Order: sequence, then structure tokens, then C-alpha cells
Amino acid sequence: MAASIPTKSSRTAAQSQVPVEHPEISFGEALNQGLRQAMELSDSVVVLGQLVDYGPGVFGSTTGLVERFGPARVRDFPVSESAMTATAIGAAVVGLRPVLVHHRLDFMLYSMDAIVNWMALWRFKSNAQSTLPVVIRAIVGRGWGQGPQHSKSLHAWFAHVPGIKVAMPATAFDAKGLLLESIFGQDPVIIVEHRSLFSLKGGVPEVPYRVRFGRAAVRRTGEDLTVVAAGAMVPFALRVADRLAALGVEAEVIDLRTISPLDTEAVCASVEKTGRLCVMDPAWQSFGVAAEIVASVAERSTRALRARPVRICHPDSHTPMSSALETQYYPDETAVVERLRLLATRG
Amino acid sequence: MSALTHAAILKTGRYRGVRIDAGEVETARSLHRFMLRLRKCEEALAREYHPADEMRCPVHFCVGQEAVPAALSLLLNDDDYLFCHHRSHGYYLAKSAPMEALFAELYGKTTGANGGLAGSQDISYPARNFYSGAILAGATAISTGAALGLQLKGTQQIAVAGFGESATDEGIFWETVNYAAVAKLPVVFVCENNNYSVFSPQLKRQALDNVSARVATFGIRSTAVFGNDAMEVHRVLGNEIALARAGAGPAFVEAYTYRWSGHYGPESDDLVGYREPSEIEAWKRNCPISLLEEAMRVRDLIKPGERESLVLEAQSAIDHCFRFAKSSPFPDAPDWKALNLSADSPLADKFLVEAELSKFDAHQEVRQAKGY
Repeated sequence: MAASIPTKSSRTAAQSQVPVEHPEISFGEALNQGLRQAMELSDSVVVLGQLVDYGPGVFGSTTGLVERFGPARVRDFPVSESAMTATAIGAAVVGLRPVLVHHRLDFMLYSMDAIVNWMALWRFKSNAQSTLPVVIRAIVGRGWGQGPQHSKSLHAWFAHVPGIKVAMPATAFDAKGLLLESIFGQDPVIIVEHRSLFSLKGGVPEVPYRVRFGRAAVRRTGEDLTVVAAGAMVPFALRVADRLAALGVEAEVIDLRTISPLDTEAVCASVEKTGRLCVMDPAWQSFGVAAEIVASVAERSTRALRARPVRICHPDSHTPMSSALETQYYPDETAVVERLRLLATRG
Repeated sequence: MSALTHAAILKTGRYRGVRIDAGEVETARSLHRFMLRLRKCEEALAREYHPADEMRCPVHFCVGQEAVPAALSLLLNDDDYLFCHHRSHGYYLAKSAPMEALFAELYGKTTGANGGLAGSQDISYPARNFYSGAILAGATAISTGAALGLQLKGTQQIAVAGFGESATDEGIFWETVNYAAVAKLPVVFVCENNNYSVFSPQLKRQALDNVSARVATFGIRSTAVFGNDAMEVHRVLGNEIALARAGAGPAFVEAYTYRWSGHYGPESDDLVGYREPSEIEAWKRNCPISLLEEAMRVRDLIKPGERESLVLEAQSAIDHCFRFAKSSPFPDAPDWKALNLSADSPLADKFLVEAELSKFDAHQEVRQAKGY
């Protein structure tokens, strides 16, 4: 992992970067642009998934690829998630760089054997002689009654398994950069993409660029409180931070960008400064990323915490369909603002 | 051939169909040499397994099931891919991976095929395009992926999956056959039907015992063969492999065979009472090596003393492998992270540039997808 662990100097540089102007495109368009550029850069890149070769193109992310690259490289796959993942493994063994797409992560669970028993340990059990550059894009739904089989974000499960990297892009910029980094990396990657982010726009460079794993982004600086957020919780955290600022509380917002490897160094550096920690993870609370972050801070920055950490997650319950209950289920911005205002003033 | 089943084979008794056609003399000799070497290798490993307790990993011996690996050893090119299940030693040797690295792997030594990380049931030899794994049908689907890659590259290479009939209990096998058929992939599935999933016979697990008949309905070529007739196995697989290589799409071959050993380890597990002694004896009378030797003797293809010298040759290689494995060092504590994930991304370095982080407006409205 040497390549993706930043040196002290590169971290300082990353944190002090001044945001620059790039063409504004949506998260979905950024994924499409990333895939298109990857396929142009290398014939070994292929896309497999249900309906990837139809106009809607998995929420726009694969639209137009079949016209440009043909059906041999943009392959509609039977509803055989298990075989699809194993197929990608075999294709990677002979030198391809497959990108799998699941409209909903929930369907991908048929392929847990391929992921956990084969893909994750391929490099390990070959004594690092054989590697699998397989990318799995898994989309998580929310709202409009997606219910318990269309909304699970199981990134913590995957991050628990050695040998797989897990990305959770929150911005269009990261969606493209992490996708390209994954496709041209050496190891299996699961990219958990939240459906609610697909229409959000952001500046995206037109060139093929990389976003490295294990490097969080400081999206907002602040002295009073550290808010660590992943995926769909990043825009939420930034909105909460803006409302806190109006109340005189300056929150530092850290976007994890990747869950595995996890940039605990960036989190701890911030907590050392603020003394207060809130983790926002768009998943069930128990045994999740938020718990891992709190544990890491407790281990590494034990004395820095001046107040009890706060986890903003989903209840330990499956997702309801009814819109009235969805409102209850997902974190409420106003309630979180109040909770964090209290966190900032305690201790 | 579709009437071929385990019950039918037992009813027939001693098999008398081994043929050595004109032009097949060298094939017969090579199959014989391979099977004899594999048998001696497995017997030696089984003998040594417990007295010393130095091979501390599950080992699934393939005594009695030598014919399929022997045929593949003659039919596969170095650049073809072979994926197999946990009963891996025959397949490993079929891809000409070195026997000493197999032994050292079982001993958990640095000189093992995988430095002692994989053991018998997960062994691979990437330099020879050989891979195995213990979760039964996984390798069938992976071989199909390899075939997809080879098809896209437009090469003459093929992928072969070797597995048992128990793998066809698992759903992914049928998903795989379907996809191989619809995409016309250059893959050959070789099912060694030995009738048992550990103790459980096929007809306790499946309503029908002829897997090849069911596979045929998926739209691929499918054949059943008496799997202890190495000559016939070689002919059938040779034909299917040639067709797959020529772009005629996938094939399934069901080779009826039998494992003499217990499911794993050197001991018999017959005390469980899952199979009749008479059944084992009947299959031993249909030993793939004896059947071929008999046919070879009829044609005077084995000279006096030749078998003994082949055994000595194998034994000498085996002795060397034991010495090699035992004298090799155990691995030191590894860098666990480096073992599981790559340190470098040369292709990303080549193709991708660094970019300055850009602005993101968190206040823009989320457009709720109404529906899916």
C-alpha cells in the first residue's frame, strides 16, 4: 500500500489545496466519462452488468458506451450475479480489467462466495503472484419507497474482508477519479455509489485523473468539532456544518472517500485539533464504519477527546417503504444540527 | 452414451472397452506414464501423511481418478488455463507444474508453489496458468471468465474446469453453463462424477444422476464417458477441446469415475458405512491404470520390466520431492498487508494524472429518482 499512503509532505499539500474550477457535470456523468476514458485508454477494460447496453445505461453511467465500444466490451449479463462476479475474476486472471455494475447492491449478495472466497483472497493464496483488477460498482437506493431490498449499504461488510478495497465517492470529482484509479489498479475494488448522489454536480477535470485510496479530503475546515462522513452523508455533513456555522460552531468536515483503506491519520489529526468527534455513516450503526472510526480515535488519540463521540447512522433496522417512515428512519438535518451544537459546547 | 450411470457401470462389471487405435500408441504410453506417476505420488503422500504429521493441511487424494488429469496433460497447451477443485494434485501435474513445489506446498514451506499459503486444496501455479480452490463450483465460473477474456483477445487458447458432480449441486454451476452457452465461450467443463459428496451419494442429492443429460438442455455439447477408460476420455476430451479451440463454443464432459481413498486424508472413511465394500472392489477391478495396461499388453506395448522401471523412475522423483520439501525452510512472518493488496499501480501511474480537488456545492437539490 506504499503507493497510496501519503507522506507527511503530500498530506499537507493535499489539505492545503485550493479548490479549482473544472467543468461542472453530475456524479452520473462523471462515472460515464471515467468509464469511457478507461475504455479508450485500454482495450482490456470491459463492462459487465444487467442492461448496461441500453439507453438508460444504469442511471446514465454507461449510456453510449456500447455504441462507442461494441457489445463484446459492453456486455448485458444474465441475472446471474454469482456467475457474473466469478466471470470477472476469470477474465481478470487472463488480463482483462472488468467493471461490474449492479443497479442495486442488494442483488450483488448472490455473489458473496465469488467476492469473499475467491476474489478477496486470490492474491493472498497465490503468494502475490496473481492479482485481480476487478471493479464492482454497487448502487445503493434511497427514497421513493426503496424499502429493505433496495437500500442496503453494506460497505462495512466488504471493508471487513482483507484483499478488497472499498470506495465511497461523494462528489462527481471523486466518482470519476476513484473509478479510474480502481480500474487501473491491481486489486479488487468495490465502489459503493449512492443513488441520491447521481444528479449532484461538481467540477470534474476532463483529463483522466486519479484519486488515491486511503486519502480522506478535508471538505471544510473548522476548530470546534470534527465531522467524519462517508458517501451520501458528505453533502449532509456539509449542510449541517453550514448551519452550525450560523450558530457560531465551526465544524471540520472530513470526507473519507475510501473505507478500505481508511485514512485514520487524517481523522485523528483533526480530532487532535478539535477534541470532538462525530461520525456520519449511511448505514446501520452497530459494527459499522462509525464504530471503526471511534475505535481508531480511541486507540490513537485517546487523550484528545474532550466529549463523548457521536455516531449519526441509520437505526439498527431494515429500511421502511412508507415515506412517512423514511423520514423517521434517515437522519434529520435539524435534529443533527442541534445534537452537534450540544456536542461542541460540552466537555 | 446417455445411459451411462454409476448403477449401469456396476451392473456391467469388469470394463472391457479400452481401445488403442492406430496412431494412438504414443498417447497410450503417455497416459500410462502420467497415471502411474500420479498414483505413486498420491500413494507416497498418503503413506507419509500421518506418521510424520508434517503435512498439516487437508489433502484430498485422487487415487482411482487418474484418467481425466492424464488426458488433460496431453491435450492442454502451456498457455491454456486450467481451474479445478480441491482434489487438485492430478490437475496440478497435468499442467506440468513442478512436483517438488507441490510437495513443499503441502509441507507449508517457502519453496511451495504458493510459499505455503495455500496448501493442497487452494494450490495454484500461475506461471503454468493453473488454479484451484475448495469451494466446489467457484472454479467453473472462473474458468468461464477466463474463456471470455480469451475470446475477446481472439487467441486459440482455451479454459478448462475440472470438478466433481457435487459442484453441480451449487447454483453457480448452472448460471455458468448458461452463460458459457449464450456467449459461446471457449471453455470445456470436465465433471468427474465419482458419485459422492463426501459420504452423500448423488441420487440422495439430485433427482437424476445423469448431469450431462441436463446440461445438454442448456444448449451446449454434452457427453458422458466411462471415466476410467483413459483412451476414451482422451478421445472425447480431445475432440471437445479441439472444437472449443476452433470457436465452436463450450462443451461439458461427464466422466464417471470413483475415488478409492476416503474423501480426505490417507485413511479410509468406509467405517461410516456410506458405500458397500463390494462397490469399492468392483471399481478397483476397473482401475484406470490396470485397464490401460491390459489393453497395452494385448498389443505388446509394455515390454518386460518396463512398468517396474517406470515405477522406479517415479519413485526416484518422489523421493527427491520429499527431500526437497523437508529440507526447505518454513516462511518467516510476512508483511500481511503486502500479501493481501498490491503496493503499486503501474497502469494507473501510466495513464492517470494527479488533479487538484475541485469545488463541491452541498446545497444543491437532490433530484429524487421517482421509481427505480
